[in-house]
Amino acid sequence: MAKQERSGGSILQFSPFQSFVDEGFWHRLSSLKLNKFGIDDSPIAITGFYAPCSHSQVSNHLTLLSESLPCDESEQSSVPAISLGNRNRCSVPGILYNTNTLEAYHALDKKSLLKEEAKKIWEDIHTGKAVEDSAVLLRFLLISFADLKKWSFHYWFAFPALVFDPPVTVVELKPASQWFTSEEADSVSVACNGWRNSSLTAGVPFFLVCIASNSHATIRHLKDWEACQGDGRKVLFGFYDPCHLPNNPGWPLRNFLALICSRWNLKTVHFLCYRENRGFADLGVSLVGEAVITIPQGWRDLQCVPNAVGWELNKGRHISRVINLAKSMDPAMLAISAADLNLKLMRWRAWPSLNLDELSSTKCLLLGAGTLGCQVARMLMAWGVRKITLLDNGRVAMSNPLRQSLYTLDNCLNGGDFKAMAAVKSLKQIFPAVEAEGVVMAIPMPGHPVSSQEEESVLEDCRRLHELVESHDAVFLLTDTRESRWLPALLCANANKITITAALGFDSFLVMRHGSGPLNSSNDVKAESEIALSGDMDSLALADSGGERLGCYFCNDVVAPTDSTANRTLDQQCTVTRPGLAPIASSLAAELFVDILHHPNGIFAGVIADSTNSGGGDQPLGILPHQIRGSLHQFSQMTLVGHASESCTACSSTVITEYRKKGKEFLLPAINHPTYLEDLTGLTELMKSASSFKLDCNNETDDDDDDDDDYVEL
Amino acid sequence: MDVSSWDGTLSLNEFSLAAQAFEEKWKISNSASPPWLWVNAPIRPFVASQKVDGFLSMENICLLRPSEDNGAEVSRLEEEKTSLSEKEEAIDDATLVHSNHHEVHYYDFHIVYSASYRVPVLYFRGYDSDGLPLQLNEIEKDLPACSAKVLLESKWTFITQEEHPYFNRPWYKLHPCGTSEWMKLLFLDEAVLAESKVAIELHLVSWFSVVGQVIGLRVPIEMVNGRIN
Repeated sequence: MAKQERSGGSILQFSPFQSFVDEGFWHRLSSLKLNKFGIDDSPIAITGFYAPCSHSQVSNHLTLLSESLPCDESEQSSVPAISLGNRNRCSVPGILYNTNTLEAYHALDKKSLLKEEAKKIWEDIHTGKAVEDSAVLLRFLLISFADLKKWSFHYWFAFPALVFDPPVTVVELKPASQWFTSEEADSVSVACNGWRNSSLTAGVPFFLVCIASNSHATIRHLKDWEACQGDGRKVLFGFYDPCHLPNNPGWPLRNFLALICSRWNLKTVHFLCYRENRGFADLGVSLVGEAVITIPQGWRDLQCVPNAVGWELNKGRHISRVINLAKSMDPAMLAISAADLNLKLMRWRAWPSLNLDELSSTKCLLLGAGTLGCQVARMLMAWGVRKITLLDNGRVAMSNPLRQSLYTLDNCLNGGDFKAMAAVKSLKQIFPAVEAEGVVMAIPMPGHPVSSQEEESVLEDCRRLHELVESHDAVFLLTDTRESRWLPALLCANANKITITAALGFDSFLVMRHGSGPLNSSNDVKAESEIALSGDMDSLALADSGGERLGCYFCNDVVAPTDSTANRTLDQQCTVTRPGLAPIASSLAAELFVDILHHPNGIFAGVIADSTNSGGGDQPLGILPHQIRGSLHQFSQMTLVGHASESCTACSSTVITEYRKKGKEFLLPAINHPTYLEDLTGLTELMKSASSFKLDCNNETDDDDDDDDDYVEL
Repeated sequence: MDVSSWDGTLSLNEFSLAAQAFEEKWKISNSASPPWLWVNAPIRPFVASQKVDGFLSMENICLLRPSEDNGAEVSRLEEEKTSLSEKEEAIDDATLVHSNHHEVHYYDFHIVYSASYRVPVLYFRGYDSDGLPLQLNEIEKDLPACSAKVLLESKWTFITQEEHPYFNRPWYKLHPCGTSEWMKLLFLDEAVLAESKVAIELHLVSWFSVVGQVIGLRVPIEMVNGRIN
């Protein structure tokens, strides 16, 4: 590519300008397009910036920044004003054609747009404006299309250069330090540094280098050309050269030569390609050359605009560029990246064994999208859980938004949106990357008999719930009646899924994790071997000996769940609890869940702090409680243990076996017949024999609260 | 300031002083590197302006990458549409056609004061020659091997992404929550830094000697030992 210096000259080849668009420019353009321009696609005046080359192996670019776009009075904030004195940012005028569609972008008449800009340069040369404000010689053109859905930006620069026909030839081109005498070189360096350091001239890219006969050099504005003529003086035409190549000048010289020959009628031009190193003039990389110009015909004539070239090549090809900035501009992606980094920060600072992959891949099923459901969903999302299904058959009522943190007034209008669907929408608004699903369905309940016409659909609901439980990894029972928790508890015990129950009284709450199921779920063959390997005493929660398993929500009942909603006062039918209770219980439920996930035994984990788990102080897990009972009455909280009951109506092996064997012949009687479950599990018998002495329940070790043991959630 | 009771933090004014000293020392003893420049903070509406509010900036650091045939590059090109026909020249004889394109990565570094942690924070970002911001895993590839190691193993360093405090764009930063702790440790070691005045001047130098390692920028020994004359 290098042209050797030979007398007679060879064609002077210029290194094209390279463009560089800072991401901030696209960001600002997008924001202006959305907020200000709308569909107006008239051309926009913009400013480019460049500076002399400062790196021996990398050329400088014509750069666009966010401040390249016109400033709005109202948006002062982060757009610094363009200052003329900025030595690293010479301002250059440009024009932007930003289209509204990709088709329009491709349909732009590039030839005529280039011609139009070339004409402006030509006129500036002829009127003398280019002498006063030489930066106009570098006028450029940008066409673009901003796809604001995909955050893709198509763009193409043109740096119009007037074509000499015949082309300019170069007689000599060498490093400046070799062309000047050493005295001259020193003087030129000093003068250039002065020019570059003065705020009046730092941004002026074209200048004259006048060397007196005594080797003293001065830098002058172009308009001082006449004054510089004189005996013994050498005059060179200097310009900030962005190019680093040792054998080629940069693009700005093209139009500079056009100005020189047209304005001052010179046929031989000595030029200085000014380049720097570390902020100072470097005459070793700067070049001095002698160009020979044959003034083309018609250049006297203002009307006769020369041809122009200058569309920027894209890696050597004549095609447009496109850049995708979704990762740094798409708010959804920024939200994901911020959330991830936040969790990683927590892991780094406080919990090195935090398993973020596990959290983001665990599928959580939330039964109930009320006060508990909304809050648990939010907490889970904060922990990095991304897969959440909410099930609720209700609609958002006017009183709900106050206590149910995913709803607003809009959800209550027109009869109220379905809670499950409104909740999902709200979750997506908080964090777009959540994979949330809503299921509008009622949970079949024992003690609420169904007519024979309804049987089919109730069984269908049971089947559907069975599948939901099977297809998720963790289930949260967050409904508002006891009996609605029965079927889910049974299904979870059947499938051996992590199950967390939260229930509220007026000022007391219960949060607990269910123990493992009594039988191996058909898919969970691993469980047995896990237990065998672990030496942990608590993991003697074996398949069949229900005695050591931790209990479920119903294990401590002595009666089967019945209809708790009939014959209650209006107060009790509504969910009336102290507002602070639901968030507390929900938070505990989410935290308990995260701890279970990190416990090596998972659902089989016992309660006692495991000495084998304390590995290197990494594990902040202390105990993994079974039940947490709290009361706002005394602002107290305690942890309790309850073991599985063999007569449990939800998780005993009797019941699970019956369910597996008989399916709907088990479910329908359970739902319709008031004492079916009690008879089946032997609770009826137990009740009879208990009438003579007081039963010792596991759950009243506390004195303060009478009613905390019947989980009166209303 | 008594070093033993110092908590490892500094005030905004102290930061400005330290920044000035750092800038000067860097220029003197690190002339091979591009200079750090003080930039005054852009005015923001609704924020009470501090008297001395700004940051240190070192921008446009080029890192030449060996040119690779990058699949990703190709996918960014427009496939069809050469919009100028053969007749209309895109280039002429006087245009040099570049044959070899080295991929270049550019980096910007800002040292910004954090009012909530009361320590300096290093913000940085990288981008390629098309202006596409580099992702963290790509930046890590650019780090010298020893830096990458420091990054992974040190419990003091953690890279996170956040909006730059002055510009509304996402930048990476080294999280400041551990800074005051290790600054304290660093200064306790230096007997010579018992005088309070010296401590401030050298604050950023010492700080950078740790932080710079993470991003592969070294502080020459002269900066720490020398005195400004």
